[in-house]
Amino acid sequence: MKVMPLDYERLFEPFIDEVDGVLCVPSDATAADVTRLAEPLGLRFPLWLDSSQSLRANISAGDYAPASSRFGPFCDNITGMNWELPDGRVVRVGERVVKSTAGYDLLRFLLGSGESFGRAKDYVLRLRPLCDRDGSFFLTGENGALEQAISRILHGPYLHWFDSVDWLAIQGCVPQLRVTVHCPSAEWKAFADYLSGCAAQHSLNIREEPGSKIGGDGLPDLALKTTPDGVIPLCRELASQNELRCVGLCYTGVVHAYCEEVSGAASKVREIVTRTASRLESNGGDWISRHLTRPIFGEEEDCWVRGLAAEWEAVA
Amino acid sequence: MTPPINAVVAALHRAAPGSRVMTSPAQLAGYDADALGYKAFPPDLVVIPHNADELAAVVRVLHDAGLPICLRGAGTSLAGGPVAAQGGAIIHTSRLRGIRKINIPGMWCEVECGVTLNSLDETLQPTGLHYPPDPSSGPVCTIGGNVASNAGGAHCFRYGVTGNYVLGVEVVMLDGTLRRFGGPSGGRGSWREDWKRLMVGSEGTLGAFTRFWLRLTPRPEKAWTFRATFPNLPSTERAIHGLVRSPSYPVAIEMMDPASVAMVERSPMAVGLPQDHFLLVVEIDGPAALVDARVQQLASILREAGSNDVQFSDDPVVRAGLFKARKAQGGLLGQVSPDFLVQDAVIPKRALAEVLALVYEEAEKAGLPAVTVMHAGDGNLHPNFLFDSRRPGDIEKVEAISACLMERVVAVGGTLSGEHGIGNDKAGYVGLIFGPDSMRMQKAVPQVFDRASQFNPLKIFPERRFAA
Repeated sequence: MKVMPLDYERLFEPFIDEVDGVLCVPSDATAADVTRLAEPLGLRFPLWLDSSQSLRANISAGDYAPASSRFGPFCDNITGMNWELPDGRVVRVGERVVKSTAGYDLLRFLLGSGESFGRAKDYVLRLRPLCDRDGSFFLTGENGALEQAISRILHGPYLHWFDSVDWLAIQGCVPQLRVTVHCPSAEWKAFADYLSGCAAQHSLNIREEPGSKIGGDGLPDLALKTTPDGVIPLCRELASQNELRCVGLCYTGVVHAYCEEVSGAASKVREIVTRTASRLESNGGDWISRHLTRPIFGEEEDCWVRGLAAEWEAVA
Repeated sequence: MTPPINAVVAALHRAAPGSRVMTSPAQLAGYDADALGYKAFPPDLVVIPHNADELAAVVRVLHDAGLPICLRGAGTSLAGGPVAAQGGAIIHTSRLRGIRKINIPGMWCEVECGVTLNSLDETLQPTGLHYPPDPSSGPVCTIGGNVASNAGGAHCFRYGVTGNYVLGVEVVMLDGTLRRFGGPSGGRGSWREDWKRLMVGSEGTLGAFTRFWLRLTPRPEKAWTFRATFPNLPSTERAIHGLVRSPSYPVAIEMMDPASVAMVERSPMAVGLPQDHFLLVVEIDGPAALVDARVQQLASILREAGSNDVQFSDDPVVRAGLFKARKAQGGLLGQVSPDFLVQDAVIPKRALAEVLALVYEEAEKAGLPAVTVMHAGDGNLHPNFLFDSRRPGDIEKVEAISACLMERVVAVGGTLSGEHGIGNDKAGYVGLIFGPDSMRMQKAVPQVFDRASQFNPLKIFPERRFAA
């Protein structure tokens, strides 16, 4: 049976639904804007690379944030958006419900496309229950022991419940494992006991920083995607060879690299990409940088990209 | 002009000598429908390739022969996905069932498209790792079908759907070339764009999947299952709303309506539930120290919402019993009715009462029974309309109800499918969710990879017809 097709675009209007845990905000909203709307309803949006920057800036800087360890990449936490095509027309992509397999997944494709095919105007965010306690645990000690502790945490039952499990590396400094927790106060002790047990078993020091928020690492100059077991070697390589500050998101296999000085960042990124890209890409990994555009991969991709762009521009 | 079938068969034997080719009506009979079952779409031939190279060779031959190409795993789709809606060839992937690699430190595995979900789970069990998507057809459904339809399941409220676990896909393109999008690392690979995002959920319209790289997670240490009955919908809704916002983080929240409960209770699978009550089955899992502490909190949410009958357990046998009614429901549909049509709408949870009322009203008006289950955490509603396709007028009635239901679902802010895909069953409704510009954007995707719509024609968009 045929139905009458729509003759207009069903664009999203700003809204918040506390039952479904979804919030529609402009793409230039910051963490403060989102928190102001979500927190009174007992909800939060956990994925921030730099909470002072806009959502769009966060999403463009990398597909993953520290809390992606628990909640997945940005694209799994955005259910829909209003998308502005290069000619200024706005279309709806995705839904306001949290699950959809209706048509091609343009939502995730476009979210990962930078501004190749336009840009987001509004996002529908998937929110999560807000708890009354958050903080981080820092584990330090001998490198081999620290790596063993990470492997144990990644394969252990608490992995799903940590907001993030991050390897922090800076040239000349002792590496640290940062584990971020967001939970009801009553459950804090269980997390603390588990991590203290890990630290004791591997002869590591543990320090607790209650109340510290994730999202303070900043927008990375370069985000590299590898496998979970590739994170620490890559962090080490970048910290030692390029003197970069690195945050390795251990479960998602992502390394966020930060240049301490803005000047020269682009050339440093180019040098790293030249050295590492083919190695990462051969295993299905990739890189993203706000300083460097990813090139089209050969004639075939050029044909697909042009094909989509031509069809989408022809929409008018 | 399409060559005669026997010429195509000869070409297939030459190009893929290890493949099995079937053309007799008796051999093809098992391929003319999926689990939806009530409409038959007989293919002209079925090919079972021996491996990925032969699959690629088969695609090349069929492409050259100008036949529609439909990929099929176990055929458990409920949306008319893996059927030869425009005739032509079905490529059955049942022999591509190798689990090629499990990388424990990297927490990923590489599997061929014909691997069944349960066999993957059994293989992973000793490693302590877990692949969470769990559609109810798990014992037989294939990963290829799961990726094609972006399948979900009861536990995806917490763990997410298939697409959340796909790190990479290998695809045979229409010209027979093999392309890899992503891989063990789950990024773009060498491509600028993340093409695997378009491949997942593409319902066999962009290429033929051969293998996947999948993300794995640690297997949960402990789980509790809760079963609660509710005297009415408002109390059930209160419980659902309380559960989804609870820091107890249920991994599954499953609902059955009274008609669904009654169907189970009138069957040999009865478990002693009141037949006029709604049922919720809820699960939490995680580290023992966390989930044990969450049990009473979760039970309180169910009781405070209005249930006088809350049972829960961490014993695997008892837990299976608590989940039994929900698990039995799907299998019983085929026993109590010659045919059924299941919808897969996703709705804002606030709209449950309005949409359910419409389901009951329309079913009653048509004189057809309806039994409804729901992945309540996600708002993914499965009303099942029971009918007899041999009875004149029944098909028209269920299709009219479906159209009416889909219009209401979209009007309340929902969408057509959460985990089954569009197939050809819901293709007529896509005009409800895509405006003119977004429809053009959607239709541009298969145009780029398969301009002639040779892969799985008449799926997703009713106008996607193959012109040889």
